Amino acid sequence: MKITLMVWRQKCCKEQGKIEKFVVDNVEEDMSFLEMFDILNERLILEGKDPIAFDHDCREGICGACSMTINGVPHGHEHGTTTCQLHMRKFKDGDTIYVEPFRNKAFPVIKDLVVDRTAYERIMQAGGFVSVATGNAKDANNLPISKENADLAMDAAACIGCGACASSCPNGSAMLFVSAKVGQFALLPQGQPERKRRVLAMIKQMEKDGFGGCTNMYECEAACPKNVSVRFIAKMNRDYLRASLFTKSK
Amino acid sequence: MGLLSYLKSTILSKWVMAITGCILVLFICGHAVGNLQILLGSDTYNTYAAFLQGLGEILWIIRIGLFVCLVLHLITSIRLKLLNNSARPTAYQYKSFLKAKLTSRTMIWTGIMIFAFLTYHLLHFTAGVTNPVEYDQHEVVINGKSGIAQEIPNDPRILAQLPPTLQTTTVDGKLYAVQEEVKTAETRHDVYKMVVLGFRNPITSLVYIIGVILLGFHLSHAIQSMFQTAGFNHPKYTPWIIQGSNALAVIVVLCLISIPITILTGLVGGTI
Amino acid sequence: MNLDAKIPEGPLADKWDNHLFNMKLINPANRRKYKIIVVGTGLAGGAAAATLAEQGYNVEAFTYNDSPRRAHSIAAQGGINAAKNYPNDGDSIRRLFYDTIKGGDFRAREANVYRLAQVSNNIIDQCVAQGVPFARDYGGLLANRSFGGAQVSRTFYARGQTGQQLLLGAYSALVRQIGLGTVTMHTRKEMADIVLIDGQCRGIITRDLLTGEVESHVADAVILATGGYGNVFFLSTNAQACNVTAAYRAYKKGAGFANPCFTQIHPTCIPVSGDHQSKLTLMSESLRNDGRIWVPKNKGDKRKPADIPEEERDYYLERKYPSFGNLSPRDISSRAAKEACDDGRGVASTGYGVYLDFADAIKRLGRDKIEERYGNLFEMYERITDDDPYTTPMMIYPASHYTMGGLWVDYNLMSNIPGLHVGGEANFSDHGANRLGASALMQGLSDGYFVLPSTVPHYLATNGPFEKVTKDHPEFKKAEAEVRDKVSRLMSIKGKHTPTYFHRELGKIMWEYCGMARNEAGLKKALELIPQVREEFWKDVTVTGDAQNLNTVLEKAMRVADFLEFAEVLVHDALERDESCGSHFRTEHQYPDGEAMRNDKDFAHVGVWEFQGVGKKPLRHKEELQYENVKFAVRSYK
Ligand SMILES: Cc1cc2nc3c(=O)[nH]c(=O)nc-3n(C[C@H](O)[C@H](O)[C@H](O)COP(=O)(O)OP(=O)(O)OC[C@H]3O[C@@H](n4cnc5c(N)ncnc54)[C@H](O)[C@@H]3O)c2cc1C
Ligand code: HEM
Ligand code: FES
Repeated sequence: MKITLMVWRQKCCKEQGKIEKFVVDNVEEDMSFLEMFDILNERLILEGKDPIAFDHDCREGICGACSMTINGVPHGHEHGTTTCQLHMRKFKDGDTIYVEPFRNKAFPVIKDLVVDRTAYERIMQAGGFVSVATGNAKDANNLPISKENADLAMDAAACIGCGACASSCPNGSAMLFVSAKVGQFALLPQGQPERKRRVLAMIKQMEKDGFGGCTNMYECEAACPKNVSVRFIAKMNRDYLRASLFTKSK
Repeated sequence: MGLLSYLKSTILSKWVMAITGCILVLFICGHAVGNLQILLGSDTYNTYAAFLQGLGEILWIIRIGLFVCLVLHLITSIRLKLLNNSARPTAYQYKSFLKAKLTSRTMIWTGIMIFAFLTYHLLHFTAGVTNPVEYDQHEVVINGKSGIAQEIPNDPRILAQLPPTLQTTTVDGKLYAVQEEVKTAETRHDVYKMVVLGFRNPITSLVYIIGVILLGFHLSHAIQSMFQTAGFNHPKYTPWIIQGSNALAVIVVLCLISIPITILTGLVGGTI
Repeated sequence: MNLDAKIPEGPLADKWDNHLFNMKLINPANRRKYKIIVVGTGLAGGAAAATLAEQGYNVEAFTYNDSPRRAHSIAAQGGINAAKNYPNDGDSIRRLFYDTIKGGDFRAREANVYRLAQVSNNIIDQCVAQGVPFARDYGGLLANRSFGGAQVSRTFYARGQTGQQLLLGAYSALVRQIGLGTVTMHTRKEMADIVLIDGQCRGIITRDLLTGEVESHVADAVILATGGYGNVFFLSTNAQACNVTAAYRAYKKGAGFANPCFTQIHPTCIPVSGDHQSKLTLMSESLRNDGRIWVPKNKGDKRKPADIPEEERDYYLERKYPSFGNLSPRDISSRAAKEACDDGRGVASTGYGVYLDFADAIKRLGRDKIEERYGNLFEMYERITDDDPYTTPMMIYPASHYTMGGLWVDYNLMSNIPGLHVGGEANFSDHGANRLGASALMQGLSDGYFVLPSTVPHYLATNGPFEKVTKDHPEFKKAEAEVRDKVSRLMSIKGKHTPTYFHRELGKIMWEYCGMARNEAGLKKALELIPQVREEFWKDVTVTGDAQNLNTVLEKAMRVADFLEFAEVLVHDALERDESCGSHFRTEHQYPDGEAMRNDKDFAHVGVWEFQGVGKKPLRHKEELQYENVKFAVRSYK
């Protein structure tokens, strides 16, 4: 297959970027999207040019490192698939593909397709945990949890923190990410003691980092490679209201 | 900031959008059904209008309530929009959406156009500022019935020729002939005629039709969105809510645009 | 080299408890004064950093990823073992201990493994307390599945994403501490060297991957939890960035490297499809619970799997190992697959693949049940291969997956360099010559949550307070200069090949001569070839861009440079270990039926290598293994 790539190039965060065109000739159907970039990069290196920088690691769709916006959609149009798991058989010979970095005010571009997602780290630091120090646990089966709740919590916990939600959202909102963590703990007994604090703190940090608000367009859910449902946003809206009405403000 | 401090939180803002929106939706549904009575003729319609007028203070409470809702809805939406725009300073060169619909992406624009339309609508029919002549329509109601009195000139010669079965009565300085005994006599605003005359102007009608369709766009997303904001999303019911939201929007639109259309085609008010 | 394992006195079952009591403690008010560096924030490092910070130590953690949550541990699919015996099917701490020793083909330390089995139960409790959503039964209690090498159901799992959920649990504990300010987190910083002062490990040198800055970090103790070196084979199931640099740098500074030739080849990976391939994808071992492995009985049978009648199929694992069948340990299953393919009966376009067939399980349990158990794995398989495993059998083939070898550590997980501790896959400690499924997560978390947080304070208490050292100390300056020098050397070569090219070349040699089956001639050949590739690398590699900006080519070149040196140590070890055991299969040493033949008389020891200079043969030391509680036995899964 012959593929034309229109790729965002940007030397570093301070410089202006622009789209640059590359043609890759010998693309095979079984290749992953990133393997196509590997070939292109090997060529660029041999030509003495700086290869296209992009984040990636596991290439199994689980670490959440890869982050390309492919034809306007983070991770591309394929449902429930990360960039690294997208295969070229989903494209046609002669296709032109636009590849841009994940876009969000809170995710500044570092270089080419690499963005800085530490904003998600800060949100997690604000409350994405159960405060339990090592060694305090009682026997695991002392805490029965209904299968339904455990399964639903797992649906939320499947989030890989890639940032596709906030980058697909026309409002740049990180609500799906936050609600996945809040939702996981809200479904489990372990999460109850800190339930109100958690949702208030995580949302506060989300807003502080400059993410937008949700207007229920559900683009995040469609772009999410792990199919995390906007149901968790709905749940979080309730939790948040309750927490802000019934928590003493400092 | 006081009361408006909720604006600092996007989620609380959303709750305000949903609650004020919900009140406006309830109002719009009532408004649509109420106004549909125009199809039942002048008397029913004007009676309904007079009933609303007769509510007095209650009407004002409702009006102020709706106004507050509208203003909060407007302020909040603008604030959210500004915030959301700033969260996405760089647009993608290649634009594509998977699930975000035209309706959901254009809420603020349909909203603002609805607001403009609403302003016009209030000036037009509620305050009578835009078309004072057509606005100024009254009818006489004798014994609670409209259309049974006929205005006659206050000319002794004509009065002398009237058949004895006819009664005359003076309302607001004008003389009317009626075929039954007059127990009560009063005038009221002839909303029916005002509306008919108003919509006879194709341009006015067109503005209304467009305004209402925009409202429909707004509502088709808004109603289901309201449920999500309020925390109700369940795989079993949400698909129905989405269908219902679209259906309700279509119904409201059909109800409301049926009025200018039936008037333009002469199906309603053709005799005036 | 001092290889005293410092195994505590007393009966096996009491050793850890006794040791816990005998270790020295530090007063809570003084803990803040001790700085501990943790390199790597996977399961082992993340858990250790969080736990030590909870105790009150001043922790600095490092990872080359942009977030601790992306460590390679995230990719583990199948599950984590524990001796809870919830299913009441005969499990116990002792059985888990025995299975692990036996699975490791009697090349692991008894005391360490027993401790691992003891602690395994606490891990599950801890993870549940953190909110890890393990799979549950309708009664609300935890569910178990079985894994290779065990006849009990002791594996806890969270769908096919157990590693992810466990890592996110450790990560949540870690971010809590970062938020509290007790852990300083350094992301996108790669450790480039360790620094010794007066024989003690007192800090590390890092290179900032975004700015290229080379920095010194001083500490009182250092923990390396930097994962395994499976990528020495180029193609493996490991994440792209996994590398040997941290461990290898420590080795170059004098740490012993133990059993590097014990590398595990996982039997169920998606076969290679072409030259472009950048990694191999694991299909969880749990699939072998319900899938049946077979190849056609006849050589070169090119019919579609569905057209091959039952009697012309060879369910070779069930045939050869009737009691464990499809759940035979990894090394055995991998070799059996290789044998079948070498025999010309392999499937897939390359002839290097075998079927993993779910048709019977779907018939027995229904598609829904299978979908519930393996839905996401099936989806992943279909995404990669475009085949639907519900209707046609999966194709699988072994691939490099895990490395049992690693830096030598004593019972306290400290290397022979005082102050340098090693946890997780980066150390050699618990799996002997072969790791059983679902045991790496267990070991990583055992090291991270329970062992290191007890033994590192003990080290600090016995050796502290430490002499004040600053970044300006000549040893730090020297180490920094060496790193800068390496960078500029790499940047200045401007040759004709990319770093990946050399990595691939190395991988070919390693897979060919030091892969699933090894022999003397091949290993000697590898020892000739590797230095050639290395020489060529230093003459002909090209690194574009500049060193002061994010430079992925430079990152890769730095890692490949270390692999090229390390590979030689690995091959030396494989050559010297003149026996077959576990994953290390020397074709010279096998029973007539092709099973591995151990040599307990000469090789019941840990082989520990000491650096002597690049290109020079390292020195081999031995730590003899004492088996007081289990008896050597031929490992049989028949
Ligand atoms: C596909 C796959 C599936 C698996 N499934 C299972 C399973 O089901 N059950 C099971 O028990 N085990 C499984 N394993 C094995 C298990 O996942 C790993 O052995 C284990 O997670 C290793 O954890 P770790 O903490 O030692 O290292 P890792 O998770 O690899 O973490 C290494 C850390 O070190 C950092 N690091 C490394 N070098 C440097 C450096 N130079 N400078 C700075 N930071 C550095 C990295 O950034 C990372 O944070 C699987 C492995 C793979 C590949
Ligand atoms: C002043 C004119 C109006 C403006 C500027 C406006 C703007 C908006 C915007 C931008 C939204 C999207 C907010 C979001 O989803 O977060 C919205 C939602 C909504 N609007 Fe309006 N609107 C207006 C008038 C109306 C009217 C007249 C109605 C009812 C008939 C209405 C009903 C709703 C409802 C129910 C919602 C859904 C709230 C939610 O998403 O939870 N709006 N409006
Ligand atoms: S590279 Fe890990 S999710 Fe894509």
